[in-house]
Amino acid sequence: MLISLNWLREFVPYAGSAEELGVALTMLGLELEEIKRPFAGLEDLPVGEVVECGRHPDSDHLSVCRVDVGSEVLDIVCGAPNVAKGQYVVVAPVGSVLPGGLAIKKAKLRGQPSNGMICSERELGLSDEHGGIMVLQELLAPSAGFRPGQPALEALKLDAEVLDIGITPNRGDCLSILGLARETALAFDLPLSLPALDYDGADCSGRALDGLKLTVQSAGICPLYQLRCIENVRVARSPAPLRWRLRAVGQRAISNLVDVTNYIMLELGQPLHSFDLHKIRGGEVRVAPASDRETITTLDGQERILTGQDITIRDAERAIGLAGVMGGANSDIDDKSSAVMLEGAIFNPSCIRKTARRLNLPSEAAYRFERGVDQGMTGYALEKAALMIARLGHGRMSASALTSELAPWQSPVIPLRRRRAEALVGVPMRTEFCVSAFGKLGCKIRENAACAEESWSVTPPSYRRDLEREADLIEELARVYGFDNLPETVPQVSRPMDLAGQAEPKHKFFSRVKNWASGLGLNEVINYSFVGHRELDLLGLPQEGRISIMNPLADEMDVLRPALLPGLLNSLKHNLAQGNTGLRLFEVATHFLADPESETTVRETVFLGLLLHGERYSSSWPHQAEDINYLDLKGLIEQLMAKLHLAAPRFSSSGSAFPWLAPCVDIFLDTLCIGHLGRVKENIAGACHARRAVWTAELNLDTLYTLQQTARITFKALPVFPPVRRDITIMAPFGLQAETLLEVIRKNSPDTLENILMVDLFQPENKSEQNFTFRLTYRDATRTLLDAEADQYRDKAAAALTRELPVRI
Amino acid sequence: MSLINELESLVGELEQNLARAVSLAELEELKTAFLGRKGRLAALMGKLKDLDAGARPAFGQKANEIKQLLTAFVEARLQDFKRKREKESLLTFDPTLPGRLPWQGSAHPVTLVMDEICGIFERLGYDTVSGPEVETDFHNFEALNFPPDHPARDMQDTLYVSDGIVLRTHTSPMQVRAMLARKKPPVAVIAPGKVYRRDSDLTHTPMFHQIEGLLVDKNISLADLRGTLTYMARSLFGQSVRVRFRPSFFPFTEPSAEVDISCIMCGGKGYIRSKSGREACRVCKTTGWLEILGSGMVDPNVFKAVGFDPECTGFAFGLGVERVAMLKYGIGDLRMFFDNDLKFLQQFA
Repeated sequence: MLISLNWLREFVPYAGSAEELGVALTMLGLELEEIKRPFAGLEDLPVGEVVECGRHPDSDHLSVCRVDVGSEVLDIVCGAPNVAKGQYVVVAPVGSVLPGGLAIKKAKLRGQPSNGMICSERELGLSDEHGGIMVLQELLAPSAGFRPGQPALEALKLDAEVLDIGITPNRGDCLSILGLARETALAFDLPLSLPALDYDGADCSGRALDGLKLTVQSAGICPLYQLRCIENVRVARSPAPLRWRLRAVGQRAISNLVDVTNYIMLELGQPLHSFDLHKIRGGEVRVAPASDRETITTLDGQERILTGQDITIRDAERAIGLAGVMGGANSDIDDKSSAVMLEGAIFNPSCIRKTARRLNLPSEAAYRFERGVDQGMTGYALEKAALMIARLGHGRMSASALTSELAPWQSPVIPLRRRRAEALVGVPMRTEFCVSAFGKLGCKIRENAACAEESWSVTPPSYRRDLEREADLIEELARVYGFDNLPETVPQVSRPMDLAGQAEPKHKFFSRVKNWASGLGLNEVINYSFVGHRELDLLGLPQEGRISIMNPLADEMDVLRPALLPGLLNSLKHNLAQGNTGLRLFEVATHFLADPESETTVRETVFLGLLLHGERYSSSWPHQAEDINYLDLKGLIEQLMAKLHLAAPRFSSSGSAFPWLAPCVDIFLDTLCIGHLGRVKENIAGACHARRAVWTAELNLDTLYTLQQTARITFKALPVFPPVRRDITIMAPFGLQAETLLEVIRKNSPDTLENILMVDLFQPENKSEQNFTFRLTYRDATRTLLDAEADQYRDKAAAALTRELPVRI
Repeated sequence: MSLINELESLVGELEQNLARAVSLAELEELKTAFLGRKGRLAALMGKLKDLDAGARPAFGQKANEIKQLLTAFVEARLQDFKRKREKESLLTFDPTLPGRLPWQGSAHPVTLVMDEICGIFERLGYDTVSGPEVETDFHNFEALNFPPDHPARDMQDTLYVSDGIVLRTHTSPMQVRAMLARKKPPVAVIAPGKVYRRDSDLTHTPMFHQIEGLLVDKNISLADLRGTLTYMARSLFGQSVRVRFRPSFFPFTEPSAEVDISCIMCGGKGYIRSKSGREACRVCKTTGWLEILGSGMVDPNVFKAVGFDPECTGFAFGLGVERVAMLKYGIGDLRMFFDNDLKFLQQFA
């Protein structure tokens, strides 16, 4: 909401600066966003008096003037047709810069020196008017008393400072100068005055409304509807001060009729609408819901299809306007209009909002109706507007208004308990303070003598429709007390006993996993939860189960991630484009899949995503330059399981459907699949401009969270007797997996086999087999094993291997 | 030469040889040649059995003396060599060679800030909770006192999955879930998470992070809220930070307050001293204040919606994590959070 400080001062005698006011309003909950100076630059331009004006000797259209600007008399050559001696004008002297950026320099025009420029409205940024220079006596009251040298900003009484105030949805009453003037009065303890209506020079003898029939269907849709008429009106440009003021608050001046309705809405918060009285058919105005599928062409020329929920203004035959949203083209004021029927009304906020949103017709009027307009101000606003139109358009205003007030405003009477207020705010609430605070807020307050508990009955004014409950009143007390004056106390948090020993919060567990990953040299990324259906299609993910977004911001954000990989690939792509090739990324985020059983129709599962690409080591020397591979990623996963005190996972080539991976490996804990890993297929990696292998894994953290809750650290006694180690080298054909060999060894070894360590894998060139070397460690808990025993164990395992598998030892 | 003499001659011979030895390997060789299992001393000792029984003890004793002597000589020489080698190696040691660097891992700045804030509140006795990112209209709006067709819904542009199912627009539905789960006061939770709005420009991303806090107990007041948030702000930004508390509006709190902290760039002065005098602070745009969160006393309608006694007292607050991270680390561009450039990420190691 833009408020001009000058305009505000018409209601409240505030003498301070715009900055101070901004802070004070902010501290009352009306946040200052910006102080604008719409006419910046005009403060330096002087008013000049044209003391001489003659024809240019060598030009038909130029005049040579002498202009008194107070400090000196300037020679100025002027091209405007309307320049004349005795005019008061605004002068841009040499060295000044006009709002449009034009810098004024000393010039010679056809031989005549010119030391400045006499300005038009457009050149001063006041309007688009450029027919000639701006003559102050013609635009402003001659009584204004201009003097040469006076700053233009002051002489034109421009609205120099405009505050942009953010208004929260509950404070519809502050969407007006009047509303903010009330808050200003509250902040600085100043009186607020509503100027008395000025009937001077207005003809109030009109009878055009006589015989017009007004009906409102129900109080629910429109508690108050009021009409006034102005006949014999001349549509014309508004006077300069009105036009300039509207411009200062960001409104374009259109015509006296339109400008007045806008002006009153901005000033008093009451939206108004003008109809052409002569276009009303059948001598009747009705306020009623539209019938279903009825159409109306609105002011903007669009045909709108209505429903029974839209409130319409109708004459005897048809809808002539969409109440509170937009007028109808069939009753619009045009150049030929001579009689205006002016509407001031209160409409149901929820109805207006539905209509404005459904038809996508946001407007200043609808915005105010949605937030609640003061029913107590409608009559005053309508009458003030009618008076202004009558005066500006030289028309005749109807003597009285035609009114239907089916439901006069009833302020609620709200009980307020002192003890509750004190408990909620945290400071003592003295009676004098409360009484004075509510007085300043325009509320009536009465002590409830009958109650046992000390309490009051508070009746808010009609403009504070947001005050409905005790809590709302307590907020008002706190606001007047000053939020910033409250003490700062840190409360004791009580811990009920049943919270003892509860499970570790999931967030904490995820943090531990993140710490593990970053400690191992992985970098955490965070990607958007949404990606595009197209990306998922490219990865070959099934359509089924995807969660689409109904109103996405863009196509590439129209579905929630059913896997973390699309996001991780985006991070890969971005980093490769930035020249970062050694990537070890991780992300902890949610998979979204459809689930009809879920309360939200979606099953959310948190996963850990890992992605490795490029170099194995962070620096070249002293490391060997090598690329990461499957074993690097697998090792990380094995380490995580150990870290979480879970069993060693089992890895097996996947039957699962992860069509973007080859190879693709499932990870099992016992029989439970907890995730998968693999290499991103080359065509997909290539699309991210990755030329080297991209390895990725996703682990179900929700499952791991559950599993690790029951995992316990159980101390095992340290071994007392020494181990005996034996190596075994197995020549096995390609295709025979290490795990198969290990299973046979384990199956054919005694309990004294403590562990098996692979110590070498030799893959000779041009051979169809590879050599695995395992180191078997035997240890007996009760005695020292003999060498011979260890030899025997190894031989037994070797024999089993050659017996059961096509291998050689 | 008697065996005793032979034994004694070993000493001189070894001494001479040791003096000539120039490498550790030669020393080791000499040690083996004289003291090894098949060395010279062992060979002489082997002749013990040829001696008269009466001469044996004297010879044995002598042999042991000689063995000790020889061992001492060899060990002394070995030590000399080792000392020399160590000295030499110090000469070639270059402490400035690059280290064998492990990868520089990092947590995302959003994670750092979330964990820090959760940590502050956990120390105050709050529990960290989580909740779904896709929410029902009930949890995201209705229970939080956003009536349908109310302008308050305009404050948050919503992404919909279907009618009545939304991507949560704030972390506040976790308040609702926490109260429904606990069934009665006291409730003290802190709830971090992702939130979504239909909004994307220089200063808005369609996904961002918030942290919600909720305390419901006996006699919780606005002053408690103010104190708690000041405590948090000072824990995050330092003891000297000033906190400004001003009225605002949120449907689910009444009274509602927004919280500003004194600008951490200019110290709340609005201007920064520079070479050319003073310069407008670009972080707070000369206001001296930075808005960091919204808060308030839980609205009685919210208590009603979760089945709590509306006479309860409690406060709630919600804070933008990226906003805090930007202020804390001096990050200028919001979009960097989701570009995930390694050069960005690794700064938060």
